[in-house]
Amino acid sequence: MRIEQLVVELSKDPFNPALNFDVAVEYEKQNQTASAVSFYLRTAEYGHETHPALVYASLLKAAHCFDDQNDRQATVSNCLLQAVAYLPYRPEGYFLLAQFHERLGQWQECYTWACIGLHNQLNSHLPVHVGYEGQYVLLFEKAVSAWWIGRKDESLELLHKLDGMKLTHDYEVAVKSNLGRLTHVAL
Amino acid sequence: MNLVEKAVHHGGKLAPLVIPHGLTSGTGLMNPSIFIDNKGNILVNLRHVNYTLYHAENEQKFPSRFGPLSYLHPEKDRRLVTVNYLCRLNDDLEMTDHAKVDTSELDVEPIWEFVGEEDCRVVQWLDDYYLVGVRRDTTTNGVGRMEYSRIEIDWDNWAVKEVRRVRINAPAPNESYCEKNWIPVLDKPYHFIKWTMPTELVYANPISGECEQVFVKPTAVPPRDQRGSSQVIRWGSMYISITHEVDLFKNYLKQKDAIYRHRLVVWDQELNVIGLSKEFSFLDARVEFCVGAAVHKGNLLVSFGFQDNAAFVLQVPGAVVEDLIMEALAYEN
Repeated sequence: MRIEQLVVELSKDPFNPALNFDVAVEYEKQNQTASAVSFYLRTAEYGHETHPALVYASLLKAAHCFDDQNDRQATVSNCLLQAVAYLPYRPEGYFLLAQFHERLGQWQECYTWACIGLHNQLNSHLPVHVGYEGQYVLLFEKAVSAWWIGRKDESLELLHKLDGMKLTHDYEVAVKSNLGRLTHVAL
Repeated sequence: MNLVEKAVHHGGKLAPLVIPHGLTSGTGLMNPSIFIDNKGNILVNLRHVNYTLYHAENEQKFPSRFGPLSYLHPEKDRRLVTVNYLCRLNDDLEMTDHAKVDTSELDVEPIWEFVGEEDCRVVQWLDDYYLVGVRRDTTTNGVGRMEYSRIEIDWDNWAVKEVRRVRINAPAPNESYCEKNWIPVLDKPYHFIKWTMPTELVYANPISGECEQVFVKPTAVPPRDQRGSSQVIRWGSMYISITHEVDLFKNYLKQKDAIYRHRLVVWDQELNVIGLSKEFSFLDARVEFCVGAAVHKGNLLVSFGFQDNAAFVLQVPGAVVEDLIMEALAYEN
């Protein structure tokens, strides 16, 4: 549905979390991330007692929007921290926090969030895809970060384990690439 | 009932204003100013900023690190930068053209953190087009003054260039810190309503920038200070304008927050205030801001920003405008 129609629907029930979420998703599809953030935040604020999955997904997506705008790391991290504080038993936020710190080369933080995520594996889908493909993405973050914090054997063991799993193409490539390089270095 | 719902329910239309992400990096598109020129072109100045407004509403369970209301600029660039796009809409309120206003010939190095001409209203006076907004980047402490930015439009190639920039003094003694939201009276060239209630009309010379007070007319005392939003336009035998009011406050952590609401003000032909509507919102957000209105085929087109992050034009059917005017007249009386 076009933004115009969605906002008109929203105007009839402006505090409805699901309607705000729909508008946010549509703006994000057009890469209008500031507009999307407004409606994701409204979803979160007006839905926190009634729509937990939408609220959680909105905080993760808001983080993604700020990340897309570049140079707003404090806010990216804050949105992710709010999400995991809100639903601490879900894995997606921990994965995104691990990935966030991986990109910054903050390896202990990456490892820690990955470990916490692996212990929180509620198995229910979110209303939108946030980049979480399954438990193995946390194993991957743990494997990569383990190498950089001095846990070489653990890193290689996890990468070998991942190599035997069914992964998306990107992860499959990344696992084989890491395994090849790290095995070579380890020798 | 918010104004969007009311307008659409009575046959009006809402049009989102979006320009491609490649031009904006996704940050805020806000505070559009609509204007219809003497050839019938529907023009909109669309303000693009380098920040995203973060506003936690309701119980504020998820504020930013910096509070419930934060301007999230790049972390390595504390400036809040505005650039303007002049857009053209068709009769269905679809955007057909957009062009960044080329200010390069007149730009000087900004020396304060608010950069660019903000919240410009579009006007056409004596065949010249102007963006009239506030600029705060010419002093080290952010003194704000209204500016005439005369623009030339290349209609064939849809390019827009600023060709003259004149900073407008405040009326003597010109000592105020920040002048903004003066609203142009469209059928009185170079005249602005500087304050709404009481109504202060000023004349600002577009060449020298000198400004003089024309009159101050007493009015009833409004519930809150009424600040300028849309241009002042003719509606039948009256003048009307949308104004805004702000409730600025701080939470227990001394972090700032705000609620904006709008009203319709009605003047008679001599610019005596004769009506003030009840407060309304466009979409029930706490931060919304209108800087434009124009009469189009018996309806009122109103342009507004949503939380500094999104922009819309709302077609308000004439009957709804008449209702608002009647409400305003009754309220004032």
